[in-house]
Amino acid sequence: MANILQEIEQQIAGAKRGVAKQNVGTVREIGDGVAKIEGLTDAMLNEMIDFGNDIYGIALNLEETEVGAIILGEYTHIKEGMECRTTGRLLSVPVGKGLLGRVVNSIGMPLDGKGPVKSDTLYPVEKIAPGIIKRRSVSQPVQTGIMAVDAMIPIGRGQRELIIGDRSTGKTTIGIDTIINQARLNRAAEQAGDKSVRPLYCIYVAIGQKQSNIVRVVNVLEEQGAMPYTIVVAASAADTATNQYLAPFAGAAMGEWFMDNGMDALIIFDDLSKHAVAYRQVSLVLRRPSGREAYPGDVFYLHSRLLERSARLSEKAGDGSLTALPIIETQLGDVSAYIPTNVISITDGQIYLETDLFYQGIRPAISVGLSVSRVGSAAQVKAMKQVAGRIKGELAQFRELAAFAQFGSDLDAKTQAQLERGKRIVEVFKQPQYNPVPVEVQVGVLWAVQNGFFDDVSVDKLKDCQAKMTDYLTSRKSALMAKILKEKALNDALIAELKAAVTEFKQTYR
Amino acid sequence: MKVSKEARHIARSLYRDSLTDGRLDETKVRTIVNGLGAAKPRELIPILKTYERLVRLEIERNTARVESAAALDTAMQQQITAQLQQIYRRPIAAEFGVNPELIGGVRVRVGSDVWDGSVANRLRELSAAL
Repeated sequence: MANILQEIEQQIAGAKRGVAKQNVGTVREIGDGVAKIEGLTDAMLNEMIDFGNDIYGIALNLEETEVGAIILGEYTHIKEGMECRTTGRLLSVPVGKGLLGRVVNSIGMPLDGKGPVKSDTLYPVEKIAPGIIKRRSVSQPVQTGIMAVDAMIPIGRGQRELIIGDRSTGKTTIGIDTIINQARLNRAAEQAGDKSVRPLYCIYVAIGQKQSNIVRVVNVLEEQGAMPYTIVVAASAADTATNQYLAPFAGAAMGEWFMDNGMDALIIFDDLSKHAVAYRQVSLVLRRPSGREAYPGDVFYLHSRLLERSARLSEKAGDGSLTALPIIETQLGDVSAYIPTNVISITDGQIYLETDLFYQGIRPAISVGLSVSRVGSAAQVKAMKQVAGRIKGELAQFRELAAFAQFGSDLDAKTQAQLERGKRIVEVFKQPQYNPVPVEVQVGVLWAVQNGFFDDVSVDKLKDCQAKMTDYLTSRKSALMAKILKEKALNDALIAELKAAVTEFKQTYR
Repeated sequence: MKVSKEARHIARSLYRDSLTDGRLDETKVRTIVNGLGAAKPRELIPILKTYERLVRLEIERNTARVESAAALDTAMQQQITAQLQQIYRRPIAAEFGVNPELIGGVRVRVGSDVWDGSVANRLRELSAAL
C-alpha cells in the first residue's frame, strides 16, 4: 500500500513541476481523416499532434499559417474550433519479441483479442535507413521452400525481392509459403537445440485487403504452426487511408528491431499498390499537388524510403538483417504502369507471376524469363548452385524450342531430348500451396532431373514419381539428406551416395 | 471557401504593405481596407478574408490573453506583462480575463504559445499520468 502512495506522490510532484510552454493550435477544418489546424507554429514534420481524448494526428503539411495533419483513429470526434497541441514525439510503435504470434494494427494495438501487447520498447515508424558503412553484402539464403524460387531466383537475407503479378496468380501464397517454411526451419532448429541456425522471424503486413482475406491468412499461419514466429500487421480496406499508409512503416519498424538486435527478419508488404492508392488519397485530401495518375510527386520516395530500410548489417553493426518481399498487383499484366516500374527499380529483383501459366496448371505461376534475383545467387547454398546452375538456361531454351517446335514435326533427336527434359523440369517445379520443400530434398530431386533419372518417366506420372522419391529420400535416406544439409555442397562421395540412392529408388518405382 | 492563388498573393502583399518597421500599423490597415472596399477588385471577399486572417494572426502574436480563476490585482498584471515582454523581446499587449473553470492559477496564451499553470490543467495532467 505504501508503494502505491509513494507512486501517487511522485506523480503529484511531477505534475507540480514548473509550467512548461506548450504549442497549441485551433482546428479550422476537419474531414476525410485530415485536419487543417491554425497556429501550431512550432510543429515539426511528422510530429504527433494531441487532440485530447486519446486522439492523435501526424503533422504532414507545414504551411505558412496552417498545419495539415492526418488523424489516427476516429476523426469524427474532432470538431471545428477544438484546441490541439504539439507533443514533441514522433509516432512510435511497440516492438520486440512480445509481438510474435500477434495481430496488430498500424499503431501496434492488438486486434486479436489476446490481451495487451507485451513490449517495453518503442520504435519510430519513420526511420532513416542504415547507411553504407553499417551494411554488408547479402551472403545468407532465405529458404522459401518453393523449388522454383530457391533454384532459379534465390533470395538472400537483407534482399528486397518484389513479387509481382495480376490478381489471383498466387502472390500472397508465395509470401505465406515462405513464412511457413521459416517456421518449419525455426522449429526444427529449436527442437534440435542447434544454435548455429539463425531463426528468421516474419512480419506480414496486410494493406487495404478484405478482412476475410486477412483472417484466412492468419488461420493458415495458425494451422501450419507459423504464428509463434510471425507478426501480422493489418490495415484492412475498412481502415482509414491514414492507417493503410502507416501500416508498412509500422511493420518495418518491428522488423528493424530484430535487425538492430542481431537477428534476422523477413517482412512481406501485401500489397504496395494499395499502399500507393492510400497515400494518394491522403495526399489529395491534404491538397498536395498531384502528378502522374494523380499520385503525389513523392510516391517514389514513399516506397524507396520504406524498402531501403531492409538491409544486411555488418558484424560491427550487429550482423542482423531485414529481408523485404513487397507485393505489387498489376492490371492485365502491365508491368510498365507507374507504381510497378517504380517498385521494380527499387528492388533487387522480381518474381513475376503470369495468369496464363496459372491457368495452364503451372503453379506457382512463375515466369522464369521475366523473373530475376540480382543479388541472391551470392547467398545460394552451394549444393543448390551445383544442381540448379544450368536449369534456368535449360528452361529458357525449352520455351524457345517449344515455340519453334509448334511449326515443324520433324525434329532431330537432340532437340527432342531437350524438349522432353524441359517438360520434366516444368513438371518438377509444380508445387501445391502451403507445402514447402526442404532444401536438401530440392537438391536431391533437382540432381535426379539434371542427371536424367526422370527421362524415362512419362510427364503425367512425373509428379507421382517425384512425391514417392521425396518420401523415399526423407524416410529411407534421411542420413544422406542430413549430410547434404550439413555439408551444404555436393562432393564426389555425396554424389556417389545420391546416385546409389536414386538408382535404388528407380529400381523399385512402378 | 476556395481562395485562388492570385487572391492569396494580393492579400499577402497588402499585408506586407500594412507593416511599419515589422509591426502592424493600424492606420495603414484601415486605409487598405477602405481602399479595397472602394476599388472593389475581383475576388474582393477572398482577398479580404485572407488579409483579415493574416492581420488576426499578427495581432494574436503580439497579444497575450491572460486568464485566471480570480481577477488579478494591478501589480500582478504589470509583473506578468513585463515578464512576457522580457521573454519575447517585443512589446506585448496583455488582455486579462477571468475564467472560473481554471479553478486556480493562470493560463497565458500568446499566438500559439501557451503557459498553462492552472489547477484544471494540472488535474488533467495528473489523470492522464495515472
